[in-house]
Amino acid sequence: MGILENRFQDNIIVEKLDKLLSWSRSTSPWFFQFGTACCAIEMMAAAAPRHDLMRIGMIPRSSPRQADVMIVAGTVTMKMALRVKKLYEQMADPKYVVAMGSCATSGGPYWQHGYHVLKGVDIVIPVDVYVPGCPPRPEALIEGLLKLQEQILDERPLTRKMA
Amino acid sequence: MSEDQEKFIARLVEKGLTGDMEPINEIQDRVLRSKVKAALVKAKRVAKTQDTKEIKNDVSDKTLPGEQSVSETLNEKIGKMIKEKFPGSLDNENIENYIQLSPDRWFEIATFLKTEPSLFFDSLQCQTGIDIGDNLLEARYNFHSMEHNHCIEIRISVPKEKAIIPSTEQIWRIADWFERETYDMLGIQFSGHRDLRRILLPDDWEGWPLRKDYQEQETYHGIVVPKIKEGWE
Repeated sequence: MGILENRFQDNIIVEKLDKLLSWSRSTSPWFFQFGTACCAIEMMAAAAPRHDLMRIGMIPRSSPRQADVMIVAGTVTMKMALRVKKLYEQMADPKYVVAMGSCATSGGPYWQHGYHVLKGVDIVIPVDVYVPGCPPRPEALIEGLLKLQEQILDERPLTRKMA
Repeated sequence: MSEDQEKFIARLVEKGLTGDMEPINEIQDRVLRSKVKAALVKAKRVAKTQDTKEIKNDVSDKTLPGEQSVSETLNEKIGKMIKEKFPGSLDNENIENYIQLSPDRWFEIATFLKTEPSLFFDSLQCQTGIDIGDNLLEARYNFHSMEHNHCIEIRISVPKEKAIIPSTEQIWRIADWFERETYDMLGIQFSGHRDLRRILLPDDWEGWPLRKDYQEQETYHGIVVPKIKEGWE
């Protein structure tokens, strides 16, 4: 930390505000509690005490305005796609999306002939992490969320992006 | 064994079957007594199987063939009733398994099926639709009467251009959602339905997905409907 290093007492940590912000964001990504199909069962299992998403700082929030991460858990139908998009737009920045399961990543079993299914939720909203599986085990979801945390930790929210 | 002895045993067995065991127990000769008892047991067993056979015959006489004849006559009976009360409504003379009706007087016939005391179809168990080809759509109804424990199937086919069938929603309330689903998937219009909207697909969806000639729409609110990501398979 250059000139500031070892200038203060032992219990004072000096760090860039930029890094501090991304660290605090990455360790408490509250997720939006909503499921569109059967993957939601595995999401609930991941949030329940056996796998316990609270360990990595994830708390389910019932309002999109309090949530940072949207876990799209399950098949997104055309009818639901508009609602998913609306909910995503209601979330406050910074916001992240995890596409959970085959249906949310690519349409899954409805890939070829499902006229009523959105072929991957990334058609309507930007997705940060894809978790494949039908449905993914809670461990797979947790790995995806840890990847998301790494991604958030690498962000520098206060640094101006150079084009 | 002498004939006299056989007759003696037969007489004792007859007595034993009526419940009189004393003459058997009074026999001094142990061998003879055991012979008589063995014969009695055998006789009882034979009598028992005959009894159960008779009972079984009774049961089968009363239920299995009887039921069939009842349901056969039920379709014929309903066919006859419809012919009498609503002439010209029967589309198909073969009413062995189901009754094919024309849609014109369906509402009256349905009311009749529910209110006629000898039919009393109080339960609409299933209503569904099917695209049977030849430019025809068909609505199918399965009725059951809880009081008489009998059931029938009604089929009504309509051409695709004029797919209108009278609604039974005001006769059986369950038909509300059944008919909405059939409307949603096949586009059969149920005239007289008080709330005929799509039930599964969005209200502004185009087309009827379970028709054989269905072509999915290109976009829905700007979202591409058919698959666009090629090269994934």
